[in-house]
Amino acid sequence: MSGVKKEEAMTGVNGSSKTAVMRGSAEGNGMDAEAHVTAERFSVFYHNREAVRQVSLAIPARGVTAIIGPSGCGKSTFLRAINRMNDLVPGCRVSGRLVFDKEDIYGPRIDVVALRRRVGMVFQKPNPFPKTVFDNVAYGPRLCGLTGRAQLEEIVERSLKSAALFDEVKDRLGQNAIGLSGGQQQRLCIARALAVDPEILLMDEPTSALDPRATSRIEDLIAELRGKYTIIIVTHNMQQAARVSDRTAFLYEGNLIEFGPTKQLFTKPRESQTEDYITGRFG
Amino acid sequence: MRTETRGMLDRAFTGTGVFSILLLVAALLVILAPLAVRGLKAVVFQGTVEHRRVLLDKFGRGDRAAVQAEIAEVVEARAPVYVMMDRFQSEVEAMPLSQRRKMRAEFQEVRKLVGAILGDRSGGPASLLMRNQYGATRWDRAQVKLQALLFAETWDYSDNSSFGKKVHTPRAERFSGTALEPMFGYFRGNIGRMLLPRRTVYWGFFTDDSFDSHLFGGIWPELLGTLYLAVGAMLFAVPAGILAAIFFAEYAGDSWAVGFLRTCVSTLAGVPSIVFGLFGLAFFIGVVRVSPSKSVLAGSLTLALMILPTLIRTAEEAIRAVPQTYREAALSLGGSRWHTIVSVVLPAALPGILTGVVISLGRAAGETAPIIFTAAVSVGKPLRLWQTLTQPTPALPWNIYNLATEHEAVEEVRHVQYGMVFALVGMVLLLNLAAIVLRARVARKLRA
Amino acid sequence: MIDSTGCRCRPSLVLDDRTRIRQRILETAGRWTLGAVTSLSLVAVLFIILFIARDALPFFRLRGLMEFFADKQWYPSGAPPHFGALTILYGSGLVALGAALVAVPLGIGAAICLSDILPFRARQAVKPVIEMLAAIPSVAYGFFALVVFAPALQERGGLILSVVAVALGAPLALLAGFVAGDLVADAVPEQRRGTHRVLAGFAVTITGLHLLGGLVEQLAGLRIASGTNALNVSLILGIMALPTVVSISEDALQSVGRELREGSYALGATRAETLLRVVAPAAGSGIAAAVILGIMRAIGETMVVWMASGNAAQIPQPWFNFLEPVRTLTATIAGDMGEADQMTGSERYHVLFAMALVLLVFSFACNTTSELILRRSRRKLRGG
Repeated sequence: MSGVKKEEAMTGVNGSSKTAVMRGSAEGNGMDAEAHVTAERFSVFYHNREAVRQVSLAIPARGVTAIIGPSGCGKSTFLRAINRMNDLVPGCRVSGRLVFDKEDIYGPRIDVVALRRRVGMVFQKPNPFPKTVFDNVAYGPRLCGLTGRAQLEEIVERSLKSAALFDEVKDRLGQNAIGLSGGQQQRLCIARALAVDPEILLMDEPTSALDPRATSRIEDLIAELRGKYTIIIVTHNMQQAARVSDRTAFLYEGNLIEFGPTKQLFTKPRESQTEDYITGRFG
Repeated sequence: MRTETRGMLDRAFTGTGVFSILLLVAALLVILAPLAVRGLKAVVFQGTVEHRRVLLDKFGRGDRAAVQAEIAEVVEARAPVYVMMDRFQSEVEAMPLSQRRKMRAEFQEVRKLVGAILGDRSGGPASLLMRNQYGATRWDRAQVKLQALLFAETWDYSDNSSFGKKVHTPRAERFSGTALEPMFGYFRGNIGRMLLPRRTVYWGFFTDDSFDSHLFGGIWPELLGTLYLAVGAMLFAVPAGILAAIFFAEYAGDSWAVGFLRTCVSTLAGVPSIVFGLFGLAFFIGVVRVSPSKSVLAGSLTLALMILPTLIRTAEEAIRAVPQTYREAALSLGGSRWHTIVSVVLPAALPGILTGVVISLGRAAGETAPIIFTAAVSVGKPLRLWQTLTQPTPALPWNIYNLATEHEAVEEVRHVQYGMVFALVGMVLLLNLAAIVLRARVARKLRA
Repeated sequence: MIDSTGCRCRPSLVLDDRTRIRQRILETAGRWTLGAVTSLSLVAVLFIILFIARDALPFFRLRGLMEFFADKQWYPSGAPPHFGALTILYGSGLVALGAALVAVPLGIGAAICLSDILPFRARQAVKPVIEMLAAIPSVAYGFFALVVFAPALQERGGLILSVVAVALGAPLALLAGFVAGDLVADAVPEQRRGTHRVLAGFAVTITGLHLLGGLVEQLAGLRIASGTNALNVSLILGIMALPTVVSISEDALQSVGRELREGSYALGATRAETLLRVVAPAAGSGIAAAVILGIMRAIGETMVVWMASGNAAQIPQPWFNFLEPVRTLTATIAGDMGEADQMTGSERYHVLFAMALVLLVFSFACNTTSELILRRSRRKLRGG
């Protein structure tokens, strides 16, 4: 734990907690420096268990931010907190602030529906609705009040193309999405999320249920999307984090241990725990 | 204990288990087989010329010319019977008084039995009741009646140590030496010519009105009444059941109030069906006055209450079986909670909910006790839709009971009873079969 | 995100007060509407109790409890009328007992078979059979009991009963002989075991078969005055209660879990020993709940008893004589309401509601007991 203490002393933030803090924007990684999502001493509790502990970090706009850490470290919980999916979990509460578009998204007057439309999400297991491919992608735009068939068709085509799926399914738009392969389903889910044109795309271990081929296609896709969206991806696969991300945050037992440019974190980690983890000594 | 003994006990144990399963299957077969076989006989049977006459007269069905030709044929075959009866009648008039009285009584009985087989005498005065106008419409009933005509049945109580015994004496003996004696022989020899039995498939049994307390015609009013009652019950129960299931599965937490509501649902499921009937009578008819007396509406409401718990339970199970990931996906796209339920959860749960609906429909159709006091009458015409609000209806379950226990000629309408049971059980089992198929398809889809 | 025209937009995350209040009101209203619809069941239960009790209490006020529960005279249309429901309560109890005697052993046997003995495919085939048994309308069972089974019982009752007795008794006698021989052999010194085993086995088997023979002789000579009696009804009600008993017991047996079974098998226990000594005790409370619900089903059933029990308000002589006709609560309500219908307000009308109240109280008691049992066993299984 000595590393953590040192970090506290260094940053001077959060003197009372054991949480390590890195300001991504302060790292000077050459990307758009404006913070898109900012957590300030943000904690998530399940009943009385603190799953995320006073995490403070600022995620810049655009590019890919990866969150890594061993199972149960709270990385998924943190990700799901960003579009308030944890609201579904009974007994879940938060403290601290999580700021997006200048608003604390856990504030009392927040429109959760609007938040979720601006912060899209792709889940661990592909979860297309048992509807047609077209209806899956059109679900979000329809929710936004879009009804014109031509316009819907245009959006569906654009989204499927963005998700590099259009050529494979263009003849099967009317078929049930359950019939697609696992990799296709996951790209369909990405297309579905892109159809409402979110600003942030959260990805919760999007390739963990897929075979290596499908995984590499998804990774290619992430690389294509990085210029347009702020992508936050949770993965337990460190190679994946190294391959696709620009910045990486390492969470351990709910604490943010280190946050910095991916290259630096994987080659010259400043924390001994980070080094232990990426060299495979635990986790 | 030796290992062999333990093995033996183990095998005996297994045997007991398998035996109980076999017994279960056997029970189902033993119960269904007679109902199916004899129920089918309400539709497929040896029909006599009388049956064809009824169809022609009452429903205008059949080939008029052919039936008329048949009638001419049987009138000719029957003529000798009436000649002999007429001759005997004049003989009786000439008898001494004491004998005349006895013979008249005996002859009266014979005349009645002949009438039961042949119906009204062609050209003679028409009887008041339809059952007397037409003879035996079914060959099997004609055979039974023929036996009654040929052999008088008396009880012999001479042996005090046991029950009375049935004794059959040939009726011909009683009339020996009279002009009537040869009639019995003629009847025995020519019954076929007098009735012209023919293999008949009477699908109209399910779609025809009935006449003269079910002695003629079909079971359409009962079938329709059952349909009205069951569908009416679903109209009330399905929306309420699905909404309650949504509440339990999606909105209700774990509070004591929700627990109490759940207890109420299971309590409602345990209320005996006859108590529902009494409640329907006291509440829907007595207090709310949905109708002045029994009506389909009151019956449907009562049945709806009865099937509500089943519906809630199956629908809740189906909704809970929808993977959480569907909900998450819909919510993450910015759907509201209610929108998520309507657009994603309910469609995915639909097959499961339908299974419950189909099974409940069968139960509502087959239940008797709740409709005895609220909706069912023994005899009635098929209702029009708007009449269901105020009128009671005949219904299969009630009329099965009624015909089997309270009909004035139970044996005469046995085939109708079996036919009704066949229709009811067939309906319910088909619905259940549909549910089983539906569920199998859901299971396959979930596996895939 | 996109707006309703498909154009890009960035709506504020903050709701204005009016929208927020409207949304909150809508959501609360929706939740309460759903809750209200769900409360229909609660209202129904309350109203059922209320309206049955409302019409039942005048009877007790007029005639008192003693007459209803202790008098054997049931002459509702006599002058003066007697409303002693003891014989009717007894009739309900007797047929429920008979139904339990049929349904409990068969149902538990079938449940064990389904959960532990049959292979998956056979189980899939048997399940629809049980569902069909549950689906057949009660009036069809009643019709079968009255029109098919009662005449058979009346004409060939002795034969039917003897066949049943032999089918059940003969294997039992043989098994008892085998086990007895083995037990005796255990008790004597090594060298004489063989002869002792054979002798004891033979002795027990022969005795058993002899007793069985006597029983069959008695049964075969039996003359059944009427086929519509307690035996008929008990058998049919037993079959009707079977699906309930089987499915709930099977659930209970399934929920015991593999680990416990494997633990027992690993110690060298046979399947019978595992099930009887390990699984059955663990699933015991679930099975008890199944039995209670099965009996409840039998007591609450109307059509079968109305059609085939003979409807004679009497206590059979001797008390366990299943071959005599009886009368039950449900059948009395169904049958007498027609006559009492017109005379709303009469004692004859209210006594039927008193009977309904008894039924209601009984079914509540059964339901609550089984629910408590199930809840406790669930907690136990989860906790342990």
